[in-house]
Amino acid sequence: MSTQVHANLTEEQVKQISEGLDEPEWLLETRLDALDALEGLEMPDVIRTPGRNWTNLYDLDFAGFVDPLNAAEEKDQVGPEEVEVMSIAEALDEREELVREGFGSVVDPEENYLTALSTALFSTGTVVYVPEGVDAEDVTVRTRMNSQSLFNYTLVVTEKSSSVTILERQTTGDEVDGERYYSGLVEIDAGENSNVQYGSLQNVDEETYTYTLKRGHADSHATINWIEGNVGSRLTKSSVETHLQGEGSESQIVGAFFGHNDQHFDVAARVWHEAEHTTADLVTRGVLDDDARSVYEGVQDVGSDAWDTSSYQRENTLMLSDESEADASPKLIINNHDTEASHSATVGQVDQQDLFYMTSRGVSPRMARNMLVEGFFVPVLEEIAVEEFRDDLSDLVAERLRE
Amino acid sequence: MSSDQDHLRETDSEARFEFKKEESSAFRAEKGDLDEETIRLISEDKDEPEWMLERRLRALRQFHAMPMPTDWPGQPDLSEVDIGQIVPYIRPDIDTRGGVDDWTDLPEEIQDTFDKLGIPEAEKNALSGVGAQYESEIVYQNMQERWEEKGVVFCDMDKAVQEHEELVKEHFMTNCVPASDNKFAALHGAIWSGGSFVYVPEDVTVEMPIQAYFRMNSEGMGQFEHTLIIAEENSEVHYIEGCSAPQYSEFNLHSGGVEVFVGENAHVQYSTVQNWSKNTYNLNTKRAICEREGTMEWISGSMGSKATMLYPSTILKGRGATDNHITIAFAGEGQNIDTGAKVYHNAPDTKSTIESKSISKDGGRTNYRGLVHISDGAENSSTSVECDALMFDNESTSDTMPYMEIEESKVDVAHEATVGKIGDEDVFYLQSRGLDDDDAKQMIVAGFIEPITEELPIEYAVELNRLIELEMEGSLG
Repeated sequence: MSTQVHANLTEEQVKQISEGLDEPEWLLETRLDALDALEGLEMPDVIRTPGRNWTNLYDLDFAGFVDPLNAAEEKDQVGPEEVEVMSIAEALDEREELVREGFGSVVDPEENYLTALSTALFSTGTVVYVPEGVDAEDVTVRTRMNSQSLFNYTLVVTEKSSSVTILERQTTGDEVDGERYYSGLVEIDAGENSNVQYGSLQNVDEETYTYTLKRGHADSHATINWIEGNVGSRLTKSSVETHLQGEGSESQIVGAFFGHNDQHFDVAARVWHEAEHTTADLVTRGVLDDDARSVYEGVQDVGSDAWDTSSYQRENTLMLSDESEADASPKLIINNHDTEASHSATVGQVDQQDLFYMTSRGVSPRMARNMLVEGFFVPVLEEIAVEEFRDDLSDLVAERLRE
Repeated sequence: MSSDQDHLRETDSEARFEFKKEESSAFRAEKGDLDEETIRLISEDKDEPEWMLERRLRALRQFHAMPMPTDWPGQPDLSEVDIGQIVPYIRPDIDTRGGVDDWTDLPEEIQDTFDKLGIPEAEKNALSGVGAQYESEIVYQNMQERWEEKGVVFCDMDKAVQEHEELVKEHFMTNCVPASDNKFAALHGAIWSGGSFVYVPEDVTVEMPIQAYFRMNSEGMGQFEHTLIIAEENSEVHYIEGCSAPQYSEFNLHSGGVEVFVGENAHVQYSTVQNWSKNTYNLNTKRAICEREGTMEWISGSMGSKATMLYPSTILKGRGATDNHITIAFAGEGQNIDTGAKVYHNAPDTKSTIESKSISKDGGRTNYRGLVHISDGAENSSTSVECDALMFDNESTSDTMPYMEIEESKVDVAHEATVGKIGDEDVFYLQSRGLDDDDAKQMIVAGFIEPITEELPIEYAVELNRLIELEMEGSLG
């Protein structure tokens, strides 16, 4: 299997993008290498059972989506004074070493076809640098996509004993003809004893295909907490991942999605326990209406050196229509016996008894259903420490329920 | 532990499974003879009707056309499985057409083999009927008269092809397990031999289990028995299958096929305790189709083999049909047991439960691989999957890979899995009551697998416990 998108792409285009950002030679080389590698790379893994790919990325018309030289976006990237929030161009100018060390250190640019495509073509990005001991809240990155395709790159580096809260949002602005493609790679390098909260809320229009890979490395006693909200898009392939590399490191991945019409969400939450005394907690809740479809994969991989691991995962899907479809695969891969691990997944519909109870108290059936859906998201919302983010997500849910 | 019990363990368990016999055979297809000519020879040797030969030949073509399963996440390594190295068919040196129905008519070496396995005793004590397969053929089959009078049929598959041709023609690898299902189902379809045929007429309840025991004795052979169970409306039957093979240096291949047809409101329980030798690749296809209000129960203990790939599956075809799976896998050194369960909910009001337990130690690897599929329209269906893994040490691996495909909203689906090591506190507690470390752990394991053993007739429960004791002996601490 292979896709044809690279046939349209040229070194010239990549060089032009690189020049636009006034990039150093090494980054251009990395881009060109990624472009070269496209030919031999496969699409990212999707859940497969023999004979069936649950999300078929090979069918997508990447050649039609990708318009590398006309990327356009509006972007806000702000944060408090103590922390450096830079556009990728600024970061290359002011902190080249940091970018050079961080870029590609967590996500291999040539990991798969889409990461390589992103690396070759990204034109916008954000670097967040949190110096030692600094506590920073409210770093906000808003990206409004105004073009056919947009490739976005984010690097977060936290030094020892620092902490940061980052909220990212993706939306679409100016309309374009036909379908479009958004790709985002996020790398987090969390230093010793640092604490990163990274929330992301995707609400692009339903003509847009999105691919996002967010991955963090957690050093000793570091914490990386992810919040991943997916509401928009035609099709989303998203993976949120933490490698717990240092002793005592922790990660929580909280996911929420709400699909309607013919939306397709392929969401994954993955954690690798690679050191002793690490803890992970994966919570995902999704609601599907109309013809929407979800594929969830959760991975808890406990390495052979990961003594005294605690790892929990739960995923619940609520189906509101007969036409919707939900697939789930919570995987446990255990190579160390000194482990407490569990996972669970459920799929079900709105509880008829609850519905009956509420309608018998005079609530209309529609209203009752909406209240129950909002209630269904509460356990996930409760895990979101940042109020603004929690409100945004619950507003989006409420808005969709009103439709 | 008392010396009596020690004695029992040694003489009974070890001697039971590890002895081997000099080979002696009447007809032996040579290694690598997996071609049309061999298939024709086997079919001719069995005096089969033309349609069966045709099915075999078609399956052979499908086998050659299909790729090996290689791309499942975490599946056992099958690179060593070279079909060219398999002896596909061995007819033991006894006239097996129809088998013998008196144990003492069997050649002494075969009698002796099954005596050691305890089959005749079990037959006398607890079973409605028993069949015994040695190499590729059923050598003994007996059914208590009182069941025969009610029209229950229990015979070997070859005989069924002759005597119950219409039933077999209709059900044999047609709807349930077609040869096109997977590469090893195709292989099985081409060179199947032996196995059991069970037919239970309407409204008949067979109160005692029927048992078949499969024994591989020859080095480098493949065993491909086929089991076909047809339970008509309102009937009930419990079928038990046991398997073993001694240890050889070359690999053996077991690729059986099991098809179960559960009629309306019928109830079939299929129990198996398999303990293949640790050089055997156990690549089976087992499936049941369950009509309205029917119940299928799979009880499986997977102990032996080098690698197992086996996911008994049930298609809940009629409204209100039920499926229960209880499985236990035990992987020791060098073993990879990839097993689980599949359920297709294709009708409304269907229910399934899967309870899967695994134990891994000394570098063994267990996978739970499961699929629950709920089709659009299968409303008010419910399923619950529970996996528990117990690990003894850090060399072992345990993965759970459940898949859930839900196309219907009015359903109730739940999956849960836990993994843990043997509880130090529990061991301590038992030790403080005077048990030594090994016995304490054994007791915990026995408790862990109790949901399985309590579903089995006592002989099998005892056998399963003994096998686990044998696996655990001396390697704890």
